[in-house]
Amino acid sequence: MASYCSLLYLGIFLPAVVLCYAVLPQRHRWKVLLAASYVFFWMVSGKLIVFLLVSSFSLHHFGLWLSAVQEERNRMLAAVDKAERKAIQATFQRRLRRILLFALLLYIGTLLTLKYAAFFSVNLNRLLDALRLPLSLPIPAFVLPIGISFYTLQAAAYLIDVYRGAIRADRNLGRLMLFLGFFPQIMEGPICRYEQTALPLWEGRPLTWRNLTFGMQRILFGMMKKIVIADRLNILIKNVFSTPTAFDGGVTALAMVCYTCQLYMEFSGTMDVVIGSAEIFGLRLPENFRQPFFSTSIQEFWMRWHITLGAWFKDYIFYPLSMSGPLKKLTSAARRRLGSHFGPLLAGSFALLAVWLCNGLWHGAGWQYIFFGLYHFALILCGSLTAPLSRRVADTLHINRDAIPYRVFCIVRTALLVCVGELFFRAEGLRAGLSMFRRMITDFSLRSFTDGAFLGLGMDGHDFFITAVAVLLVFAVGALRERGIPIRETVARQHIAIRWSVYYSAILFVVIFGAYGVGYVPVDPIYAAF
Amino acid sequence: MKTCIALLAKGACFLALLGALLLTASFLFMPKNNHKTFGVGSDELFAGGILGERDHSIDVLVVGDSEAYSSISPMQMWAEHGFTSYLCSTSAQPLYDSHRFLRQALERQSPKVVILETNAIFRPYTFNDYLLSRAKSLFSVLRYHDRWKALTVNDLSGPMGYTWTDDLKGYRYNNKVAAADARRHMQPTDQMKEIPLLNINCLQDMLDLCEKHGTQLVLVSTPSTLNWNYARHNRIAAFAAEHGLPYLDLNLMPDKVPIDWKTDTRDKGDHLNYRGAVKVTAYLGQYLKQTFTLPDNRPSAAYNSWNEALKRYRSTYANPQFRQAP
Repeated sequence: MASYCSLLYLGIFLPAVVLCYAVLPQRHRWKVLLAASYVFFWMVSGKLIVFLLVSSFSLHHFGLWLSAVQEERNRMLAAVDKAERKAIQATFQRRLRRILLFALLLYIGTLLTLKYAAFFSVNLNRLLDALRLPLSLPIPAFVLPIGISFYTLQAAAYLIDVYRGAIRADRNLGRLMLFLGFFPQIMEGPICRYEQTALPLWEGRPLTWRNLTFGMQRILFGMMKKIVIADRLNILIKNVFSTPTAFDGGVTALAMVCYTCQLYMEFSGTMDVVIGSAEIFGLRLPENFRQPFFSTSIQEFWMRWHITLGAWFKDYIFYPLSMSGPLKKLTSAARRRLGSHFGPLLAGSFALLAVWLCNGLWHGAGWQYIFFGLYHFALILCGSLTAPLSRRVADTLHINRDAIPYRVFCIVRTALLVCVGELFFRAEGLRAGLSMFRRMITDFSLRSFTDGAFLGLGMDGHDFFITAVAVLLVFAVGALRERGIPIRETVARQHIAIRWSVYYSAILFVVIFGAYGVGYVPVDPIYAAF
Repeated sequence: MKTCIALLAKGACFLALLGALLLTASFLFMPKNNHKTFGVGSDELFAGGILGERDHSIDVLVVGDSEAYSSISPMQMWAEHGFTSYLCSTSAQPLYDSHRFLRQALERQSPKVVILETNAIFRPYTFNDYLLSRAKSLFSVLRYHDRWKALTVNDLSGPMGYTWTDDLKGYRYNNKVAAADARRHMQPTDQMKEIPLLNINCLQDMLDLCEKHGTQLVLVSTPSTLNWNYARHNRIAAFAAEHGLPYLDLNLMPDKVPIDWKTDTRDKGDHLNYRGAVKVTAYLGQYLKQTFTLPDNRPSAAYNSWNEALKRYRSTYANPQFRQAP
């Protein structure tokens, strides 16, 4: 079961789980979801299921440990007078912090070892070689359990929230295992918080016709994005990115835009299938995308793209760092010297840098990912630094910043900057990315488009046409959502003949125009590899 | 309860109507003939040529992957022995596709022998691939959906008919030479390479199908230094013994099939070239003729098309060019 869009998942696995869920009494339904989740994980990762099991058991243990220390602290605080409280508080705080650090080291350490050990070894060997030292480290080749980057962040968030007292540690192992391993979200997220999904999953909410139909609608829309658009673009993208020096700047730019489109359609399409699957069981998973290509700035883009990852970094890296003693002091000092705009910005940029380094590294062990993170850090920082200047320029030139032409300009500018970032993200190494970028600037030509050579890259005229139609459809749905028009509810309110016609049209659209079968290479779930 | 029944009925109606729509689309998208101008993909074209053969006219059917269509030449067997054979072979053919071709062929043919080239037995596939294949058999729109690019008005109402057949009967001529290093080929071992579980089930289904149609299944391993080894041989030999099937491993018969790995392979031992195929076919034809007492149809007027095809075949291999798809 390599993908949520596979026939095995949508045609056998999901219906079987829904059926079992429906026939069992409410109090046993969580068991169906838990068993299904572990079967799903085993089908994808086999014996690596042991990682998920160990993570779940240890999470339960660490949560209870933190909780026990907190309870002991509370008992002692209640028994002593005010003067002694501070010392007791400090003592327990140190103990709690040690437990938390130990647990986080275990989770993050496992992730770092499995995901980055080879990258660090290769680069350390290069360094040793450059220093002419006769040493070299073995390069390990670990197999990654599916979804480790996602469930590790969920586990870390749970423990930090328990440590902060934001949630109570869960004594129920089954509930915690289900929260960590729920099958629709285990491969590609969204990264959920305990309070968002643990209890609703446990409740075993009844199946309703509305949830079933709405969930299936969402799944169908996701399949359209994935199978019609993302998979169709795959051959062209593979052809261009695997031989980056073989094409002129025009074709490189086309591949760059196609890849950005593919990444969005693949990831957001999979998210639609994931959220739709959960919706069938009455669970509303947090959204990961909110029409990101309607953003007018990079900062806004990241509030609309992979929202749950951004929120995780904000809550567990940016804020703790910004609120740390040294950065607070730096903020005060910078505010005095640089004023209330640039002062906090300077101090905040350290936390921001950490966030974007982590963001880049989270996506993969490679310099291009680090570059990708730093690229977006630089864009966001530049945007913040030049905000007063651009406001002043706009006022001087009497540009209405709310006018549609100006907003369209900002949207297009943001989309182009995102596309450039994705070029480096997809390139086979940083050097290849730089070479492709240089080619776009120094060797830009429309020759391949005028002589029709671009039609020989893996997509013919029909392919481009149907991709454009599907992209316009997604764009139209996005535009309606931006205006707050509830499309799914609108469709659901129609007469059955219209409603079913819409559903059948959508199914046939995917069946007929999907890029599958002989001659196509479906794109692997891109984010499942991160 | 009433609501529940109403909802179930609604769901069933939705699915029934969807099935009807998919069947309609399947009719629309199904190629109306087996020639490539009707939208048949190039790989399935040669294997599908059997649909254009006269009913119950094929004596030996071969299924398998590229090893089969590179090693066995039906026209040579026709020329030397007079029995008819056809290769339903495609590149990297998974076993479920071998099963599909077999099923499809047995609807209109009654071969005395079915040969399964054994390389396909070890090609793994996922359960999802298998499901998709079954779904494609049920709704052919899933297999031919990409024909939306070339649909014509004729597809709306045109009658179905299979009029094309391949002159080489599924064999693919190739006379390139790229020598192989065969020093380590077929080193004896007691090890056995495991057959994937899904493939074992599929093999059993093929066995049952052959039994039902009264046809003899024969396992044949054609020579290949890259794809075949002793561990695979051991496993297939054990399977054949277990099910009482004849098994020929041509990799272990240098006296009967004297492959010269310097001249008889087109891609360093992966596949045989024309020279290699001639050697394999010469032995295989003789074996089939003697073991299964196959008829000599050459004098029969009903097989005139085969004699005509033989003339064209001879002119093709006399001219050392790559064969182009018709």
